[in-house]
Amino acid sequence: MSLTEAKTATAIRPAVRRRGRSGRAAHSRLSRRRRRAGILLSLPALALVVALIGIPVGQAVYYSMTQWNGITATWIGPSVYTALFKDPIFWRVVENNALLLLAVPFAIGIPLVIAALLNEHVRGWRFFRSVYFLPTAISWVVIGMFAQRFFAATGVLNNLLSHVGFGASATDMLAGEHSALVALAITFIWSMVGTNTIIFLTGMATLDPTLTEAARVDGLSRTQIFFRVTLPLLTRFIQFSFVITVISAFSALFSLIFVMTSGGPGFGTTTLEFFIYQAGFQQVQFGTAALYGVVLFVIMAIAGLVQLRLIKPDDGGGW
Amino acid sequence: MAQIELESVTKEFPDGTTAVSSLDLAVGDGELLVLVGPSGCGKTTALRMVAGLEDVTSGTISIDGRPVNDVEPRHRDIAMVFQSYALYPHLSVYDNMAFSLKYRRAAKAEIRQRVAEAARILELEPYLQRKPRQLSGGQRQRVAMGRAIVRQPRAFLMDEPLSNLDAKLRVQMRAEIAQLQRSLGTTTIYVTHDQTEAMTLGTRVAVISGGVLQQVAAPQELYRRPANLFVAGFIGSPPMNLIDARLERGGAAGDDAGPVVVFGPHRLAIPPEVVAAHPAFERYLGEAIVLGIRPEHLHDAAIAGGPVIKLPVRLREELGSEVQVHGAIGTAAHVSADAADDLRSLATIVARMDPRTKIAEGETAEIAVDTAELQFFDPASGDSILA
Ligand SMILES: Nc1ncnc2c1ncn2[C@@H]1O[C@H](COP(=O)(O)OP(=O)(O)O)[C@@H](O)[C@H]1O
Ligand SMILES: [Mg+2]
Repeated sequence: MSLTEAKTATAIRPAVRRRGRSGRAAHSRLSRRRRRAGILLSLPALALVVALIGIPVGQAVYYSMTQWNGITATWIGPSVYTALFKDPIFWRVVENNALLLLAVPFAIGIPLVIAALLNEHVRGWRFFRSVYFLPTAISWVVIGMFAQRFFAATGVLNNLLSHVGFGASATDMLAGEHSALVALAITFIWSMVGTNTIIFLTGMATLDPTLTEAARVDGLSRTQIFFRVTLPLLTRFIQFSFVITVISAFSALFSLIFVMTSGGPGFGTTTLEFFIYQAGFQQVQFGTAALYGVVLFVIMAIAGLVQLRLIKPDDGGGW
Repeated sequence: MAQIELESVTKEFPDGTTAVSSLDLAVGDGELLVLVGPSGCGKTTALRMVAGLEDVTSGTISIDGRPVNDVEPRHRDIAMVFQSYALYPHLSVYDNMAFSLKYRRAAKAEIRQRVAEAARILELEPYLQRKPRQLSGGQRQRVAMGRAIVRQPRAFLMDEPLSNLDAKLRVQMRAEIAQLQRSLGTTTIYVTHDQTEAMTLGTRVAVISGGVLQQVAAPQELYRRPANLFVAGFIGSPPMNLIDARLERGGAAGDDAGPVVVFGPHRLAIPPEVVAAHPAFERYLGEAIVLGIRPEHLHDAAIAGGPVIKLPVRLREELGSEVQVHGAIGTAAHVSADAADDLRSLATIVARMDPRTKIAEGETAEIAVDTAELQFFDPASGDSILA
């Protein structure tokens, strides 16, 4: 609303300037009235945002500086933050989150390749499209249960390994701190493939097919066309899938972790998100949970701002 | 530079549509051949097969004598200008033009020099750093041309490159393309649905209808000697008047006068030299035929001589350089299946007359006919009797 408002205003300004004094006066009266209407019309939305986001965030920040067991809250103050940043377990958890970020390139790259292949409309591409999308339609809990069976000591993975003669390398991936995080990352990537493949397929469907044809006539191989024509034109879609993949990595894995590892072994698979749950519902320290929540919120906000900057169209050079 | 040859090339799409049917065409080295036909007649499909973007169902396409049916587009060394221009939206004008050379491993200096040259010819120098969306339609069209010419390919394929431009720009660009093609001397196949464009551009013009080749000839030849009813009706604007008529022996029975063509109340004697040149006339005596008269072969009898027919004038249109007179012929015009709502169904014919004519609406005008220029077609096959 206010954006369109602003655009209209800049668009008509030069014309107004040429019209002279009386024109300008009329314009400013009009624009004042318009501005008032704009504010008035956006009030309900503003109220909703404050009620649903502003107040809870404020509360979270307040409670993060208290000791609160759900009934009585004791004020402690900002010192909780300095204490938190000195806590090695907190840093361990943040490190887990950072390591999960390493899964993001795979969660985007693999679907890109799959989408590119499906987009060639190979025989049965509709069937494969449904198959790849299937994980998206399955609850994280179910995925977690499958993944647990898959990676367990007597699970599918080890069965497969021993069948092809690699029985000696069989391990219980969920039992090691680092291997458990890898297993979690792999499960996460697998479950993101469907969503991202669909995003990229949609993106590819929006591309003008004559562009690829022009490139074919211009002398490019299929691989060159993918990297030099298709990929650059999919920038928006890749940025979008990057955003939702990062958000999922940080805030959608709770049920997966809960079912697969419960955050263990040790703190091996405890992410900030899971940490909140542990503090709040296992240790009944809602103040600490709120504290972690605020940290996660700040990290996500920063990530969001960075992405907003990335997505902002460049000055006339974009397309 | 190259010769392109199509030998009974057929394209059938998986859904059963036969877009191109047994097409034979030979494009000479350096020639500009125009493919013209109504929308949906298979022009684009034919061109895409030459480019390699569409598989050939049967038949052979050769470039310089070498069959290329199974050659990838990128190995055919052919440049194509798409109807939508297909400019890469993420690249600048310069990069769009340099794009193909980069992947053909041309030296940097060479690329810069060729793009600069093309930009100079096409007057694109001020826009080299812009993105396609910052250009006008005409400028985009030039970039598409530039992208083709920097490659110095063996042949150009152009699919209705001017159809997205306004009329004035189209005429200007048409002339520039003709000039450019002549100075580069690159073999070119040019596709259009616009018969005026086809006539002005082509050294030879191939007329296609329903995926079938109708006639290939120089523009004048197409105009003066259309091979069949389709070409007769398609080439020329306003189109040739086509009238259902009969050929009869002239004079009284037993008299050995030459054949006359009869339509409605009108009788026109066919000049003896025309009959002499075309013995086929004998076979059609007493038969139905379709008579074709170009509008410019009908004159005001007060200004020009010749056998006269009298027609009630329905409409007089002033065009400045000429006057178009619509006259009722008192009989059915020939109506082809695909032109039912055309002027011809109104049983009127159009004459393009000297602007000095005084013929007015409502009167019955005396119209002189250039009988030497009449065309005759077999109503069943549609083929010209004069062929
Ligand atoms: N991919 C396709 N699948 C099925 N039919 C097609 C396809 N492309 C074109 N056609 C059909 O082939 C015929 C010729 O199309 P086209 O070559 O585009 O005609 P033009 O360029 O002369 O307008 C049309 O009837 C069109 O509907
Ligand atoms: Mg076409």
